[in-house]
Amino acid sequence: MDIDWTALMAPLIVPLVKILVLIFALLTAAAYLVLLERWMAAWIQDRRGPNRVGIPLTKLHMFGLGQPLADGLKFIFKEEYTPSHVDKALFILAPISILAAAIAVFAVVPFGYVLPLDLPGMDGQPIELIVAPGLDVGMIYVFALSSIAVYGVILGGWASNNKYGFLGGLRSSAQLIAYEIPLALGILGVILATGSLRLDRSILEQANSVVWNVLVQPLGFSVFLVAAFAEAARLPFDLPECEQELIGGYHTEYSGMKLLLFLIAEFLHMVVASFLIVILFLGGWHFWGMTVPAEAAVTWPEALLRVAVLLVKVLLVITFFMVVRWSWPRFRFDQLMSLAWKVMLPLGLVNLVAVAAVYEYSAALGAPGEGLWRGVAIGWGVALVAWIAAAVLAPLHTDNRPRLEAMNPPQFEPEDGLRGQPQAR
Amino acid sequence: MNEMVAVLGLATAILALGLWFLLPRGAAAGRAIGALLAAVALGILASRIPGVGHLPAEIVFYILAGVTLLSALATIAFRKPVYSAIWFGLSLLGTGGLMLFGGAQFLGVATVVVYAGAILVTFLFVLMLAQPEGQAPYDQLSWAPRLAALTGALLVGTLTLVVVSVFENPDVALRPEAPFNAAELDENILSDEHMAHLGAELFSKHLLAVEVAGTLLLAALVGTVAIVAQIRQPEHGGSSHG
Repeated sequence: MDIDWTALMAPLIVPLVKILVLIFALLTAAAYLVLLERWMAAWIQDRRGPNRVGIPLTKLHMFGLGQPLADGLKFIFKEEYTPSHVDKALFILAPISILAAAIAVFAVVPFGYVLPLDLPGMDGQPIELIVAPGLDVGMIYVFALSSIAVYGVILGGWASNNKYGFLGGLRSSAQLIAYEIPLALGILGVILATGSLRLDRSILEQANSVVWNVLVQPLGFSVFLVAAFAEAARLPFDLPECEQELIGGYHTEYSGMKLLLFLIAEFLHMVVASFLIVILFLGGWHFWGMTVPAEAAVTWPEALLRVAVLLVKVLLVITFFMVVRWSWPRFRFDQLMSLAWKVMLPLGLVNLVAVAAVYEYSAALGAPGEGLWRGVAIGWGVALVAWIAAAVLAPLHTDNRPRLEAMNPPQFEPEDGLRGQPQAR
Repeated sequence: MNEMVAVLGLATAILALGLWFLLPRGAAAGRAIGALLAAVALGILASRIPGVGHLPAEIVFYILAGVTLLSALATIAFRKPVYSAIWFGLSLLGTGGLMLFGGAQFLGVATVVVYAGAILVTFLFVLMLAQPEGQAPYDQLSWAPRLAALTGALLVGTLTLVVVSVFENPDVALRPEAPFNAAELDENILSDEHMAHLGAELFSKHLLAVEVAGTLLLAALVGTVAIVAQIRQPEHGGSSHG
């Protein structure tokens, strides 16, 4: 039997290499992003931050670049303590499932365009910089895996057999489930504009039209951004970290490597949220004047330039996440929920209808280039009107003043038993 | 043909016995035997199904199928409802993987979103909120183990018989007419624009069905809100007395 091994193995080896590179890069990036986060925190709080750990046994500090390694070693050498009252199997399964889901999302996230690499057995096809290039359901796949992440939260809280952990798990999973809806509504507008569920198509569409989706759909972008913050459990939505009320939320009972898995997973959620924001709304690897023409055969410098543009954008968005962390106080749980259901959901629906209307009547708006700019104008108009309406009509979800009706309940009136009652809240 | 029916029947009988041993019946005895019997029976059934012919694809397929089947067995075999739910989730992931493997991308991912992401999470919420301190004994038992084992085994056996006879006798009456030829398959399910085709199909040919289903769900949603609002009203009244 004459088997053409290169033809058989190349389609296997190329994805395996991509997966290895991706996982290695992600875990390293997560470690160094923690260092960046601590630097940002120090900068905002006007202190120095971690700057001592360099090469051991020398006096080289290297701005503290050895800190992630030291942090990792510390986590590894911490006592791996499993409390006796937990449900052991689920206690171990929870961090594994949440991390596995967080890493698996990256299978459909492009981290560049293509590499013009002519490998044997690939028929001269350039290497697409995405682990699963042919998957036509990319965005639903992202949703499927983010709903798997809920399992880690619920199981972690329940298996801990601790009331704080359990309440924290319920609260976090309710948050994740609630904010999936505005997240989906934000994505739906982009899907309508792109006509495909593939993330790489979304970039290509924006690169071809040279107008980023954030310009056409500012309302969809803001809804998606807020929902992405909530899904990644970052401030102002970081209820799992609510030390004051629930000690540590769903990972109260965790320590050592298992806690590290949870923390890495939370960090990767932020990274994937940044990737999605950049890919769906900020043009992916496209930048005006740098990456034209979009679909031409790319050379090596152009391919690397596209990767660099994408990664720089992602890094900027991650930095934005970190600045927000030290700029905004945490929402209370009821504020968080009313923001999701009473503000973000209607705004998302308005955006979806506006986008659908613009694309339905795009022919009436004029020539393709000109019509697009009119679409941009309509998009900003809708965003402005919807924003004002939300500001006037929506509940005061960020109002932290004491509630007057709770402090001074209406007096009981015997002749009208029901109406004089304090509101049962 | 007769020899094959005999082998499949024997495997079905072994499977029924194994399932009966596996099901939580109150006595813990014999569950290892049950797992062994079920594995043997599934092995016999699987050995009758012809392979796909492409080695890496076959390995992937058997891993996915094995995970799906074993976690399905574990779903019914485990005593704690929470564990059953988790195994069920794994089985759903395997099913989604099998659908992806077959090229039905949307079905595969939608299975995970709808079943594992929405329905099973609701199950988990209910299980965890309803039983904070241990499980009730009636939740740890299988209710009709003999009937359940027999029905399940018969279902698996019959399905295997259908599949195997389709493959082994090309002219048997059981073989259905091929609904698609290869070119059509490439154009629809396996095309690059899989989702666009599906969406166009749903919102043109099946528009009425989609709208009716959407209205039905909306009605259910409104009904739920109405029921919840009704339940909350007595609470207001109750607090007025207190």
